[in-house]
Amino acid sequence: MNRPLVSTVLVVATAALLGGCASSQATYVDPASTRTLSNVGEINVQDWNMAAESMINSLIAKHINSGSVKGSGPDGRAVLAISRIVNNTSIQIDTDMLVKKIRVALLGTGKVVVDITAGLGGPEDPLAAEAKREQQLLGTQKVSGRPDYTLSGKIIENRTRQGNQRESTYVFQMALATRDGLAVWEDEKTITKQGKRAPVSW
Amino acid sequence: MNFNPVRALATATLMALLGAGCHTVNTTETAQPVFQRNLVSEKRVITDASLARKVQILGVNVSDGPGGFLKVQAEVQNTTGRYQRFAYKWEWFDKDGNLIEGPAAVSIIRQVEGKESLFINGVAPNPAARDFRLKLYENAR
Repeated sequence: MNRPLVSTVLVVATAALLGGCASSQATYVDPASTRTLSNVGEINVQDWNMAAESMINSLIAKHINSGSVKGSGPDGRAVLAISRIVNNTSIQIDTDMLVKKIRVALLGTGKVVVDITAGLGGPEDPLAAEAKREQQLLGTQKVSGRPDYTLSGKIIENRTRQGNQRESTYVFQMALATRDGLAVWEDEKTITKQGKRAPVSW
Repeated sequence: MNFNPVRALATATLMALLGAGCHTVNTTETAQPVFQRNLVSEKRVITDASLARKVQILGVNVSDGPGGFLKVQAEVQNTTGRYQRFAYKWEWFDKDGNLIEGPAAVSIIRQVEGKESLFINGVAPNPAARDFRLKLYENAR
């Protein structure tokens, strides 16, 4: 058999085997950039970012910037509690991916504080809830009982397909209500993504 | 000049192919708008030369609400006849020039049809924000 040919085949085969063993190195990307991965069937980091940015801007521009936000919190700040955020999509999601960003931004405005002792599924911080209850019982400090505002929302999904082209639409709806149950701010952000269906692999 | 059917067919096909990718938008507005924009220097807009050739900033105007939050609106236009995709990001600074970070400081993707103009809105994260910068990126996914 041709010796140089055998050597070449061996070298190529070894290189191919070694190449397959090498692990892919992870690269850090800025989650606030457009370099993060996105796909059609899921709500990705970019989608949460865009939905939160839209809601934060809308809430500040349409309600907080009007100067009408006053409440029973420290320095006259409005007290906000998080109500139900309904997940009406086919995927399992943690709604805090959206709500926490909104909460952080609202706290940063200096006009709103968030009550973490009130919540539908029990208090977010049980120790803070207990301390608040004690203070209310002892009457040592003025503690506001009810939040001035509640934030609620819904995430809806719509999927469609045409040929091998797939499309997913995620609708983010949010509302801010007063103690009287009146919605003083509402908004909706729709994100639509398209992509081709991956070929079947064996 | 002699009529060449092959050349005519090739030209028609080329024109059809070139036109297929173009969806331009026609815009109409009043000659004398009732509003008056407080236009600011475009030094605050950062973009690269390649994107600037395709997506142009027509104007940036700033307003202040009763709550003291700065509101900025930039009008951008796609100068080409083709659909363009770009991303933008707002950066906010306090009176001392310090960057104010927050969850809303993220890149937002927008699409603009050929010759279409659209508005990009930004709201300061808090009343301490006194200045801003708008960054425009190309090749947004």
